[in-house]
Amino acid sequence: MAVTDGSPLLSVSDLRVGFATERGLVRAVDGVSFDLAAGRTLGIVGESGSGKSVTAKTIMNLLPSYARVEGSVTFDGRDVRALASSGARHFWGVEMTMVFQDPMTSLNPVKKVGEQIAESLRVHLKRSRKEARDEAGDLLEQVGIPEPRKRLTQYPHELSGGLRQRVVIAMALACSPRLLIADEPTTALDVTVQKHILDLLDGLREERGMAMILITHDLGVVRGRADDIMVMYAGRTMEQADTDTLFSEMRHPYTEALLETIPRIDMPSHSRLVPIPGRPPDVIEVSTGCPFAPRCRSCTDVCLTERPTLDEQGHGHVCACHGPVGTDVGAMARSANEASGVTPAGLDMAAFGSAGVEAGDGS
Amino acid sequence: MAGSGTVQLRDDADVLLRVENLVMEFPVGRHQVVHAVSDVSFDVRRGETLGIVGESGCGKSTTARALVQLPRPTSGRVILDPGSDLEIDMTTLSGSSLRQVRPRMQMIFQDPISSLNPRRRVRDIVGEGLVIWQDDKGGSSTRARVDEVLNAVGIEPEVAADRRPHEFSGGQCQRISIARAVAIEPEILICDEPVSALDVSVQAQILNILEDMKARYGLTLVFISHDLSVVRNVSDRVVVMYLGKICEIGGADTLYLEPAHPYTRVLLASAPEPAATVDPSDAAIGDEIPSPINPPSGCRFRTRCPRAADRCASEEPQMRAVGDDHFVACHFPTLA
Repeated sequence: MAVTDGSPLLSVSDLRVGFATERGLVRAVDGVSFDLAAGRTLGIVGESGSGKSVTAKTIMNLLPSYARVEGSVTFDGRDVRALASSGARHFWGVEMTMVFQDPMTSLNPVKKVGEQIAESLRVHLKRSRKEARDEAGDLLEQVGIPEPRKRLTQYPHELSGGLRQRVVIAMALACSPRLLIADEPTTALDVTVQKHILDLLDGLREERGMAMILITHDLGVVRGRADDIMVMYAGRTMEQADTDTLFSEMRHPYTEALLETIPRIDMPSHSRLVPIPGRPPDVIEVSTGCPFAPRCRSCTDVCLTERPTLDEQGHGHVCACHGPVGTDVGAMARSANEASGVTPAGLDMAAFGSAGVEAGDGS
Repeated sequence: MAGSGTVQLRDDADVLLRVENLVMEFPVGRHQVVHAVSDVSFDVRRGETLGIVGESGCGKSTTARALVQLPRPTSGRVILDPGSDLEIDMTTLSGSSLRQVRPRMQMIFQDPISSLNPRRRVRDIVGEGLVIWQDDKGGSSTRARVDEVLNAVGIEPEVAADRRPHEFSGGQCQRISIARAVAIEPEILICDEPVSALDVSVQAQILNILEDMKARYGLTLVFISHDLSVVRNVSDRVVVMYLGKICEIGGADTLYLEPAHPYTRVLLASAPEPAATVDPSDAAIGDEIPSPINPPSGCRFRTRCPRAADRCASEEPQMRAVGDDHFVACHFPTLA
């Protein structure tokens, strides 16, 4: 299904994004690289603050001017950052578009839906008013909105959350983009609508041969929908592989923790969840060692002092960990921590079981 | 779906809270009424966790608020200790007598940051209920209790008690909300989407804390969420709601293993990783929930239901048993 002619459509290489703040430089993205071919979907997964949205905004040239960007982003052989400085108007929103989490804030509340979709057609593709209006109707039909012609004259507040997100997708598709970035497109929506929107995006990607980046905090959402998955933490790539490999040969303890922490619908009632203790690190200090070490079950002494490199595990599967899951080193590190009750980072192993509370005492 | 009836109510001494024929209507515009909750009945046993699940607009939050009389329901009864000598119908109380009963129920809300007063210190926020209800008025026993509940939710009182909410993350604020709720030793804790606004890693921490609180303080929980996986994880019994009506009630595992209502199947099939007990095609229904101002006749789910027939439009399905402690309001349930 993937259309690969050797060179990827999008290529991100050693991307670093920093923001200068009063407290120091925030390293939001710290050396991320990936390739994406036409027709394929990359899932980027991680907690809040892991740098996934900043990565997307860098690609889309949506960062504020004070952001410090290093590294390269190439789209179809062109340097995206050079395009940005030359002020290329008809690139973003035409060849590359983005769908955001909250459909209400992506739409202009005082403009009719039809005008908002037609706007990009008129500006970028120089369509006449009537042509643009007709095309907007067709687009609404493609994204599965009932009575599309009637909706053109409605305002965003007259539509439900699911319909608004469909309108936003229609706007994103207006100029037939070759890359669509969807940043948590369904987080604000009901489960029933979430499935429809994800199915819709997947169908459109296949129909139009678009490349897609799907950003989410839920591994369940990208499983079965993304071709490749990149797991991010503290601005870095922790693990990256094609979806089947990632789930069958999961290597990074963070990926494992992300999967175990979500209650799954097939788990019996009152199954104890495995939390990820603590919270994501401040990315202000230059840390030595692995950023996940303070929250990791398999943490060893070397994790605290030496930054793990992103190593090849075979078949394009990369992982940055000193003691990967499923290896002898990793298993030994974990059982040593379990035996001593505390990890080298000073984390009480009980935090993975009872969240630091003596459950049930006194009852 | 969505039916009326009271066969699902249990008649035993263990029932702590019983809701009978609860109706909540809000006037809008000229002579129009939003039917937010229409004839809903359920009960909760002491020590049980009741989950309420459904899409936005199904009336689950309105139901939760009606339990604490915020505002008072249009009609119906909310009874504590039904059948016993201490039976109290909260809908008949007002003024100081209602105030006396309210400490028995506490709520936790979706947005932890906006539910804490930003200008007050954590110690005062958590201790306020104690100051109001105890004779001690903020003395040493209040301090000791605040320290105890903060420890119980994994917040160190020495470090945190004199800080203000903005110094904490969302997950920590939700822990403080839980500490505040359990401080005055309520019997019932009503949780309205307590993890929806939190990061996935924090969600598990909060769910585990709720389980611990339940064991530690002998709480009875009413847990509201739109996420069926979360509801199954925390609940003993689950109520599925749609457009102000109950579709199905049953044990948390029963509902998942033997879903009887077509709407329950839709929810199961719509999860990011669909349940193995339903067909993925079961999720194929329209996006649009009908307006609660003008709900469909008969079964309210019929406009989106794959099994709808003429009878569903003319006759409202009544709750009936389809198994052991398993009730459904549907003319054509998907089992038995």
